[in-house]
Amino acid sequence: MAAQVATTKVPEVRDITRIERIGAHSHIRGLGLDDALEARQVSQGMVGQLASRRAAGLILEMIKDGQIAGRAVLIAGQPGTGKTAIAMGIAQSLGPDTPFTAMAGSEIFSLEMSKTEALSQAFRKAIGVRIKEETEIIEGEVVEIQIDRPATGTGAKVGKLTLKTTEMETIYDLGTKMIESLSKERVQAGDVITIDKATGKISKLGRSFTRARDYDAMGSQTQFVQCPEGELQKRKEVVHTVSLHEIDVINSRTQGFLALFSGDTGEIKSEVREQINAKVSEWREEGKAEIIPGVLFIDEVHMLDIECFSFLNRALESDLSPVLVMATNRGITRIRGTNYQSPHGIPIDMLDRLLIIATTPYTEKETRQILKIRCEEEDVELSEEAHTVLTRIGLETSLRYAIQLISTAGLVCRKRRGTEVQVEDIKRVYSLFLDESRSSQYMKEYQDSFLFNETQSPQMDIS
Amino acid sequence: MDESAQQILENLTEVEVAAEDILADKQQIVDLDLRRNRNREAFNALRNHSSNDNVKVCFGNMFITFPQESARSMILKDQENLDKEITDLRKQLKTKVNRLNELQGKPALTGYNLAPLSSAEMKAINSLIKK
Repeated sequence: MAAQVATTKVPEVRDITRIERIGAHSHIRGLGLDDALEARQVSQGMVGQLASRRAAGLILEMIKDGQIAGRAVLIAGQPGTGKTAIAMGIAQSLGPDTPFTAMAGSEIFSLEMSKTEALSQAFRKAIGVRIKEETEIIEGEVVEIQIDRPATGTGAKVGKLTLKTTEMETIYDLGTKMIESLSKERVQAGDVITIDKATGKISKLGRSFTRARDYDAMGSQTQFVQCPEGELQKRKEVVHTVSLHEIDVINSRTQGFLALFSGDTGEIKSEVREQINAKVSEWREEGKAEIIPGVLFIDEVHMLDIECFSFLNRALESDLSPVLVMATNRGITRIRGTNYQSPHGIPIDMLDRLLIIATTPYTEKETRQILKIRCEEEDVELSEEAHTVLTRIGLETSLRYAIQLISTAGLVCRKRRGTEVQVEDIKRVYSLFLDESRSSQYMKEYQDSFLFNETQSPQMDIS
Repeated sequence: MDESAQQILENLTEVEVAAEDILADKQQIVDLDLRRNRNREAFNALRNHSSNDNVKVCFGNMFITFPQESARSMILKDQENLDKEITDLRKQLKTKVNRLNELQGKPALTGYNLAPLSSAEMKAINSLIKK
């Protein structure tokens, strides 16, 4: 997908109607690779990290080909070096048809659900099943409905329905049941309707354009459609993609409407899962379904404990397994649930299975670019000097802090009715909000006046 | 004309031929469906025919009197043939559309070659899709 954008050089069209809150990674629209999977310096919201992006691009291609089900990738790097950005880039490039599930490592800790259940659900959400629905329908514009009521008032009604397309016209004899559903749908001459051949279900598509002048007083909700073309009796094929988890859910629900209201389903029995697996593989053998291994992204993966890692080890070996992408910003640290130290807080046996992509800190030029992109995303105009100052701040404190300053400086600027953020605005917010190192500095100086300062525990180790 | 222009012309001709073929098939389906609907109308008319006399059946531009029973079976047989022909045409159409896409360098349609789920299976899945 990224490659296509590169060749055609079409300006990236953004959906205007979709108004969303601006998230930290809302500017990312792909991995920014060209046809040869080479990363371009600035593209699709991505800046720098050329090697990691190229690596991610390779993995993306393999995911698209469906080649690497049951593999795992780890994106490791210092805080603020674009780990989540790369994962988002992968998600965006996959397109809507491939399932992408994102979760944070800490999400699995819940009182209602065991850790492994939460992980299994996440796994199964990331596997899509493509199926096809085929229906025979009769589609046409109603020319005339004629219903004969028996003179006695009781007894079976009979009637005739004339339907047409641009090519043909025909008369159907109607039975009682059909007449009932026609009057229930309030079908009149001039409506364009479809009749499902298998179930007899009638749906109204709208009114025909040729009948537009029949009524002057027309509700605004009346929809006008063209008279259908071609044959009356058509075959309609629709391809759907559902996730394995969704199939699990409908099958684990007991009857009773309470289940409809509670969004989350609690634990799903392993028998249900096994049945679904059997059914899906049966469908696959019959050519009725295609499995689409998607991507499960676990951010902050060092939050998982040793039990989860051993579960992951096992789960990756199942033939219904998605591609697992994990991200962490930890160095050599304790594995949760043990007293052992390990790189990234991940057990060695798990690490052994992973393809590891490293991200490196951004250079000055790249920081500048990222800040520019974020300014565009947050609709803040930045003067040249302010941009330079902000870049320095970004380099000396952290990129995240600099990004935080964009919108706050934008607000200060708007307050003084300026159109462009100047150095003064940046200075003002810089003095108003502390960055991490100044805040720690402040703590060190004044910690005697804070409460509970007698604890002399070492600082959190994130290196 | 130099070689590359010749090549382009050949490619375009190929695409046009494939497209024309698809359009012809589509028209054929429409024509067959028209006949199918006429047959259905005729069959309904016969069913509502009260007396047991012979009926007049129109062949091309000639009316022939037939016993009702044989007229009925004739129509039924014709319907069966028509149904079969339409299904065959639709099947062919799929491979033809795939070929056209290939010629034009478009990606194949996803899930195009899947077999459909049965109606019972679809019913179970439906609650997922029609949210």
